Parts: sequence; structure tokens; C-alpha cells
Amino acid sequence: MATFARSWWNTLQAVWADKGVLLLLVIAPVLYGFFYPWPYMQQAVTRVPVAVVDLDHSSLSRQITRFASANPRLDVRWVGGDLHAAQQALWAGEIEGFAVLPQDLKRHVVRGQSAVVTVEGDGAYALLNKAVLYGFAEAVGTVSAGVEIKKLQAAGQGARQAAASRNPVGTQMLPLFNPTEGYGSYVVPAVALLILQQTLLMGAAMLVGTWVEVGQHRASPAQWLGRIAALASVGAMAGLFYFGWEFTVQDFPRGGNPLGALVLLAVYMPAVACLGCLLGVWFADRERSMQVLLLTSLPMAFVSGFSWPSEALPWPLQGLRWLIPSTSGIQASLRLNQMGAPLGDVAGPLTVLLALALGLGALLLWWARPRGAGVRPAL
Amino acid sequence: MPLAPVDSAQGAINVVAFSARREVALLRSRPWDLAMITWVPALACLLLWWIFSAGLPTRLPIGLVDDDHSALSRQLTRFLDATPGLAVAVRYANAAEAERGLRSAEVYAVVRIPGDFTRTVKQGRAAQVTLLHNAQLGTHSGLIQRDVRTVVGTLSAGIEMAARNKRGEPAQTVRVSMEPVRTGMVTLFNASLDYEQFLAAALLPALLHILAMTAGAWSVGRELRDRTVAQWLGAHPTFRQVLGAVAGKLWWSWLGLGLVGTAALVGITWGRGWHPAGSVAWTCLALWVFLALSIAMGALAASATRSLRTALSATGFITAPAFAFGGVGFPILAMPWGAQLWARALPFTHYIRVQMEQLQMGAPLAVSLATPLWMLLASALLLLASTLGLRAAADRPATWGKR
Repeated sequence: MATFARSWWNTLQAVWADKGVLLLLVIAPVLYGFFYPWPYMQQAVTRVPVAVVDLDHSSLSRQITRFASANPRLDVRWVGGDLHAAQQALWAGEIEGFAVLPQDLKRHVVRGQSAVVTVEGDGAYALLNKAVLYGFAEAVGTVSAGVEIKKLQAAGQGARQAAASRNPVGTQMLPLFNPTEGYGSYVVPAVALLILQQTLLMGAAMLVGTWVEVGQHRASPAQWLGRIAALASVGAMAGLFYFGWEFTVQDFPRGGNPLGALVLLAVYMPAVACLGCLLGVWFADRERSMQVLLLTSLPMAFVSGFSWPSEALPWPLQGLRWLIPSTSGIQASLRLNQMGAPLGDVAGPLTVLLALALGLGALLLWWARPRGAGVRPAL
Repeated sequence: MPLAPVDSAQGAINVVAFSARREVALLRSRPWDLAMITWVPALACLLLWWIFSAGLPTRLPIGLVDDDHSALSRQLTRFLDATPGLAVAVRYANAAEAERGLRSAEVYAVVRIPGDFTRTVKQGRAAQVTLLHNAQLGTHSGLIQRDVRTVVGTLSAGIEMAARNKRGEPAQTVRVSMEPVRTGMVTLFNASLDYEQFLAAALLPALLHILAMTAGAWSVGRELRDRTVAQWLGAHPTFRQVLGAVAGKLWWSWLGLGLVGTAALVGITWGRGWHPAGSVAWTCLALWVFLALSIAMGALAASATRSLRTALSATGFITAPAFAFGGVGFPILAMPWGAQLWARALPFTHYIRVQMEQLQMGAPLAVSLATPLWMLLASALLLLASTLGLRAAADRPATWGKR
């Protein structure tokens, strides 16, 4: 026990004394806490620049243009009659989409023939495309419904009945857990767990890699447990910073199950610390951890299932992805912090993390055991 | 090994060749370093492509609370289950059970059909179906919302058409008068919003960007860390000697990553039967220039800080979040102005715009001409700057070996 405590304390001191490790374990999580949510501060996409190509010049086409201008998703930059100019402006990035109001739009509607307003959005950028399509669809839909209700009323229906018979079944959308459907609230709480993992992995592997270089990494099980506990507790402090302070300051959905979140940190951080130490022993080089691990964040984010549905992953990846702690960490953290699930609902991911911690820890203790461990170690 | 003085073109070529040959020998003896510019990038690109190879997620599990138990509610259920994007996985008896299912993420959404559903419709009043969706999972909930909206719209249109037919309107005019003005949606090129084309194609260069800046930082930074600057550059090298040595050394990273990038780009477009309207060749050229710029950024980070570790930290800070700032997921115009400035200072933002223009938007070449040329200029400037930094470092051996 004394060995464990001494090793824990010595490791904390080693982290403090090593500028590179300190930067990764302490400064980087805090810095990324500000830096990563930065682009998403406004959360939603509003007032997307668009154009209206009006080839009809009628009261109806002007009405559609007015409704489009009033739509909060859209910012109608110009109204003109030149389709080619609109296309050029789209390529040049001046606008993100445009609607074409065809010639004879009003005449067709008055005669009871169908008329189509074409909306061109930029499919290369999904959120912009969605804003453009929905914005114009809302504007055209409102005008269209007005026309139809007038016709139904002319046919003798009351205004309310006309509205109901126009749309007998509607869908009411109720967004749960992220009620404003903010983009940052969706991305950052999940990526936070990945940031916690990557910084701890690189920091731990850098520290241990430096020890390997000078041949000081081998240690008894008690010493290793102390080292793992020290690295995990630094990681847990960063975790508390995210779960408590960061989610609050950014006003993300949070605090669903605080005790559950503590249990998560208590298994997540040791699992990550063990993996980091193992990588350090394997790399045997101070800087190698950063060289190799920097590129892993992107694939790890997309196999974790928060952004790309895990149902769409090839089946071998559906299994293999659980070998990475962040997969379980993200799944459990979203359920606990954002969705407020009881601990029982995350038993699966927590068990996986515990198994990873035990498995990786045992491998580490054996691989980096004191030299000549076959003989009785001198104490 | 002492270097011949460079005062002729032949001498310059010798310097480059010497540095390139020395690098080959180093790479042969260091399997990790060789891996990071050859099979690791290739494998990482394959992995990314594999993740998105399904293109569009199908059969996302949703739950159902049917309080109506009618022919109409069963019809709606059948419609929902028949949609490729949805799978009615669980039927919940009540709202509390449904909430538990949502909270544990057993299902990503729940459709609730109210008890008076059929009666309301028959009385000619507007009925409501409620979709509770897990908005914490943005992609999932977006896809489900779209599909459920379509299904309910289909059901609603069927009911309305039947009602109008009953009132004696001929079927042909019904369709028109139901929706006098329709919106025809044309999403340019990526019509189905196929994620393989949309996300994988944008993530591959983001990944290569990280690898390329890492490679630049590593190959220059390691000479400083290992105190082998004199063996690489010679004692008191001239500016031209250093420039040649840098070029000869970095060339291999550029070649390795460029070939992987070309294979990835061609593979995900032509290889998958996707023939973009724009120029794949120009995109490929832009990718090579972008990789050169990334490598030069890494080399500059290493020669300016004279520390491999700091250079790699800078690499992480610049390249790892580059995708988030690049405007692909969340548009740049919706970012705060400070973040917009940072986004526009990052080369990834500019490269990915060229790729989007050529591969997704089918823009004419003229629109995408300038960016790669600017990047080429920037690469040259950064290489010159790192040459200056290295020449200064070469004269001060005491500053080598920083960890």
C-alpha cells in the first residue's frame, strides 16, 4: 500500500516536472475546452444567403419572394431574372442556393394546373442545403396552402375545416435531450470524451516512453498501479472540468445523472491510462505517441456511433470498435450526462470499460514487470 | 560525410540527391518512420472509406406507441416499417416505457399515435402523430425526422385524395388542387446526400493533412532531437545547401502521401462508379499542392521551435480540429467572426472548397483555379522560412536535442 501511494505521488510529481506531459494532460484539455466549441457557438444556421430568380413577375411570384425574405432561415441577397448569374453566384460562394419561379406560374395556378418552383441547394454542404430547401419549401408551402384554402372556401368549406381537409394528418416533432437541436450541443459533448482520451493517451505514452528510453519503466505491480492511478486521477480532473464547468458554461444539455458520470470517469480514465502506458512501453520513444496518435481521432470519432449511426458500420467494425475506450465512453457519457439515463442502462459500456482496464492493465503489469521477475523480486 | 560546396547547378542537385539518399537509408532502418508515410496512411484511408461504405444508414430502430389500435394506425406502422431508413423495432405499451427506451438509446425515436386518431380523421378534423426523437444524436434524428415526415405525408395525401374523390372531384384534378404550387427540390449533385461521397470524401484529405504536417514536423524535428543536424546539413551550410537538403529529405513524405492521396481520391470517385461533373485531375493536383503545404507547415514548426515535441503539439493544434473549422459539417458563415478568421487561415478550409467545387458542385475549372496556385506560393514561402530557421539552428549546436 505504501509502495502504491509513493508511486502515485512520484508519478504526479513526474507529470508536473515534465513540460510536455503537463501540456498534454492539463493544458490541452482546458485549451480544447474553449477552442473546440468555438465554431459552434451560435449553434444554428440562420440567414443563409440565397437568390430568387423570378421569371414570372406576377403578384404570386412577388408574394413567394416576400415570404422567403421573411423566413429566418434565409437571407434573400438578390432577386433577378438571370438563371446563369444565379448559378455563377452559387459556384463563387456568394449564395448557397436559389429558387426559380417559372414563367406563367400565376397563370397555371389560376387555371388549376400544377406549377413547380425549383429550388437549387448546394448538396456539398448538408446544413446549408437543409436550410435553403426548408426555407424555400416553407415559403412556397405557405403561399400554396393559402391558395388552396381559398379554393376550398370558395367550394363552401369553413376556414378551419378547409385547413384540416388540406392536411388530415400532421406530424408533431418533439426533440428530446437537445431541445434546441443545436449543432454544438450535439457534437461537443461527444467529442469531449474523445479529447479526454486522446490527451491522456498521448500524455501517458509520452511519460512512459521517456521512462523506457532511459530504462526506468519496469516496475512491480504495486508501483504500476500507483502510476496508473496517478495518470487516471489527472485525467479524471480534466473529465470533471468538462462534465461540470465546460458543459455549464457552454450551456449544453448536462447533469442528467451526475453520480453516474462519476462512476463513468472511475472506469473510463483507468482504461485509457492503461492503454496509454501500454502504448508508451511499445513505442519506447518520447515523441512517438504524438506522431502515431494524432491521426487516430478522426476514425475513432466516426466509429463511436454518435455522429455516424453504428447500424451503418460494416459488421466487423461494429465489434472491433469496442476495443477503443472512447466508443464506450461516448456512448455512456451521452446517456448519463445528456439523456439522464439510470446507471443500469449503461451497464454494457461500463462493463466493456472495466474489462478493458483489467485486460490492458494485466498485460501492462506482465509486459513491464521488473527484470528477472521469474526469480523472487528483492524487496 | 562532408558536403561539397554548392556553387553550381550540379552541386545543388548533388545536395538534394545526397539528402534524399540519406533519408532512404534512414527510413530503411526505422520501420515506424517508413510506416507513417506509406502503409499507415493507406490503411487509415481504407478504414475511413470502409466506415462510410454503406453510403446511407438504413433500418435505424424506432419505437411505436399505438393507442389507437385501428386499421389506419396499423397502415401507418406498415408504411413506417417499409421505409428503408426505418425499422419499427419495439412496440411500447405506454409513454413511460417509451421514454425509458429513448433514454437508454434502445431506439432513436418513438412515433406516438393518439387514441382518437381514426375518429379525428373520420370527422374531417386534423389529427396529429407525434415523433419524439433523440436530438442528441443529430444525424440519426435528422434522417428519422425526414423519413417519418415523408411517411405521414404520404398517408395524409392518401386520405385527402380519398376524401376529395368521395366529394366527386375527378382524380386527375385532385392532385393539382391539393398542392397548387409545389417545390421541386434539386440538391446539386449529391442528390441522395450519400455520406460516402459527402463525409468520406471530405474526411480523407483531413486525415492526410494531419499525416502530412506530422511527417514534415517529424522528419525535420527528429534531426534536431537526435542532434544529427551536422550529418544532414554539413557544418556551417549555406542557404542553398540547406534548401536542397530540406527538399531532398521531405520529398519522400510528399511522394508517399501524395500517392496514397491519389489512390484514395481516384478510388472514392471513379473506383466507386462516381463520375463527378468537375475535374478529378485538378482536384488531385490541388491535393498534391495541399499536401506539400502541410508538409512545409510541419517542417517550419520544427525548424522554428527546434523541438520535435513542440512541433508535433502545434501539428495537433492546427490539423486535428481543421475538419471542424473547415465548414463541411457546420458552415463557416454561421461561426462567430473570430472562428471565421481562424477557419479562413487554415489551408484545409481552402483545399476542401476546391474539392467541393470540383467533385460535388460541378463548378467550371475557372472557379477553382486560383486556390492551388496560392497554396503553391505559400508552400514555397514556408519552405524558405524553414530553411532560414534550419540554417540558424545549424550554427548553434547547443540548441539541438530539445525534448
